[in-house]
Amino acid sequence: MSRVLNVILSHQPRVDLERLLEWWSSCTAAENLLVSYGGTEEEFEKLPDVSRVFVSDPQLRVDKVREKQSYAGVWRAAAQWLAEKGNESFTHVYFAEFDHLPIVPDLAAKLVERMEEEQADTLGHHLRRIDGTSNVHYLYHLSDPGFMEFWRRISMRSNKQVVLGMLSTGSFWTRKAFMEVAVQQQEILVYLEIYLPTVAHHLGFRVRDFRDQSRCVFPVLVQGLSVDGARQKGCWTVHPIKKCPLVQV
Amino acid sequence: MKDYKQLLLRPLFVGMINLLSSNIRDVDTGECIGRALLIPWRGRILILGAGVAGYALVPKFCAQKRLTFWKCELGFTRHPAPDYPREPRS
Repeated sequence: MSRVLNVILSHQPRVDLERLLEWWSSCTAAENLLVSYGGTEEEFEKLPDVSRVFVSDPQLRVDKVREKQSYAGVWRAAAQWLAEKGNESFTHVYFAEFDHLPIVPDLAAKLVERMEEEQADTLGHHLRRIDGTSNVHYLYHLSDPGFMEFWRRISMRSNKQVVLGMLSTGSFWTRKAFMEVAVQQQEILVYLEIYLPTVAHHLGFRVRDFRDQSRCVFPVLVQGLSVDGARQKGCWTVHPIKKCPLVQV
Repeated sequence: MKDYKQLLLRPLFVGMINLLSSNIRDVDTGECIGRALLIPWRGRILILGAGVAGYALVPKFCAQKRLTFWKCELGFTRHPAPDYPREPRS
């Protein structure tokens, strides 16, 4: 029996977060939600009564690309919560940033089904191989001599040169993959869109793309992107929607 | 000063580059995989364009049906979608 924990990364004030949780409650029960909070500690104390963890990692609060933002702290905090007594029944983890909205009521079932179809351990949006390419994130990291050395050190694959990139929001993980990536020591600074899929790959997990379900998930704001439009296209989730609508799923 | 550059000069510069750019076609499939202006510069090739940040181009020399001693073509392709099996654990 599968059970999906939805980890929502937010830095929003209480009023906005309540609205977001109300939206999420239309597709899953409140006990399947975990708020991973990246805002201030003062605001964290004021949050609504929901399972939550505070992420203190300063690497979460840096410039996204240039300073190589990391979700390692988010993963560690969520993994610690998962390891607590009473949370053993979660078999999968779905990770979403606050502006990534579910738009189908049976998202968890659809995700698990797709995971089984792909026989994967991790599913992500816009997954691609970027080593040896013109990808700007890859080239930026390549100037760090420790970058490729890190993968060589931790990899259990025969080809230790493979570097993957994906959008981290909306990624779906088996519990085992999520926990192992969380405990892996991130010894060098790597941007999260590279780090998460690549570390999962080199730890031996099968990482796959969401394929058709990436149609309404974009890295940046796109003109005309809306919940209704995404629903009409048959999408399960939509990103980015900065202002969570009041209308429920 | 920085705002002035970002607001006015950058879009103007990027717009001009876009005008002069050509479509980049996958040397294997012929599919359009980007648009950029290629400029030889000090023994290297500069790839300029607004969309370059989103590309993951792999340079690849093109196969030739005719043997030529004075010319070869360097094109681009992409990696296939990642499809690696799960690695068995000991």
